[in-house]
Amino acid sequence: MTTLQVVAPTLEVAVSVALLSFVVVVAVLTAVVRDVLTAVVVFAAYSLGLAILWVLFHAPDVGLTEAAVGAGVTTALFLLAISQTVRPAGGRTLVDPRTVKPSSVVVALGVTVGLLLTVPALPPVGAADTPAFGPVSDFYLADAADRGVDNAVTAVLVVYRGFDTFGEIAVVFAAAVAVLAALGRETLA
Amino acid sequence: MTDPLFGVGAWFAHAVFAVLVGVGLFVLVDDDNLVKKVIGLNIFQTGVFLFFVTSAYRADGKAPLVTGPGPYVNPLPHVLILTAIVVGVAVTAVALALVVRIYGEYGTLREDVIREVRAAERESAAAEAAEEGSR
Repeated sequence: MTTLQVVAPTLEVAVSVALLSFVVVVAVLTAVVRDVLTAVVVFAAYSLGLAILWVLFHAPDVGLTEAAVGAGVTTALFLLAISQTVRPAGGRTLVDPRTVKPSSVVVALGVTVGLLLTVPALPPVGAADTPAFGPVSDFYLADAADRGVDNAVTAVLVVYRGFDTFGEIAVVFAAAVAVLAALGRETLA
Repeated sequence: MTDPLFGVGAWFAHAVFAVLVGVGLFVLVDDDNLVKKVIGLNIFQTGVFLFFVTSAYRADGKAPLVTGPGPYVNPLPHVLILTAIVVGVAVTAVALALVVRIYGEYGTLREDVIREVRAAERESAAAEAAEEGSR
């Protein structure tokens, strides 16, 4: 028992750091491959890495949704869009570095460096006294347990913040209408 | 209590968040292919998800399935991210529908080519208008 407690956290550390590094590498790979189909497949691997990461961060609901929606539905949408269009003809595997615009490098680097500068001011990952842990979350956890709802995430999603979810459904409906309108398929016939 | 998950590198996940947002933004603004731009938008978005999920995490916490004594990780950011994932897919679907429509209209997915075609269209329209006026 004690050995397990000693071993388990270090293994978790190793897997988390490896997965975080994997996610960064795959994101960069998505950026540099030229072929769109390759980029979509690499992006699916990226989503899968994130899904495992969410489980390691004790967010199983987010992990399931990411695996089903992020790695599944999003990839299917991309493949559907690609099947309707063309892929760039053969040649280079990677994006030609000469076509990179200096202005976009400046924008992306500026945002990244700006965010990195704020990182030391953030509370460390895993600390229990961060501002994110307020009385609201404690109330959700305690009240959901009192009412016999074991999954606090579901309780917050459909009860305490049901209007958020209602808005989300409205967004999905609006998106479905927008897709049909953009593709010129408003009629069912 | 110190953080057993990341120890010295307690800020590593935050740094990854910054890098993912940067990479996503770079693809979004730099790549000429419209589908690649949508992929960049998705990377940007998942970078923000990483920030939320790590902010919900506490090293001594359990997954928010309330079956015994706590402490639990914060369920609220998880809920926000669940909503954001679904909204993100809706945004991706609309963006890709517009991309397919643009492809039907211009026969290309390259932003620079579309710009050229549009500029040429505007020029010929202006020339036609000038011809009409001179008559």
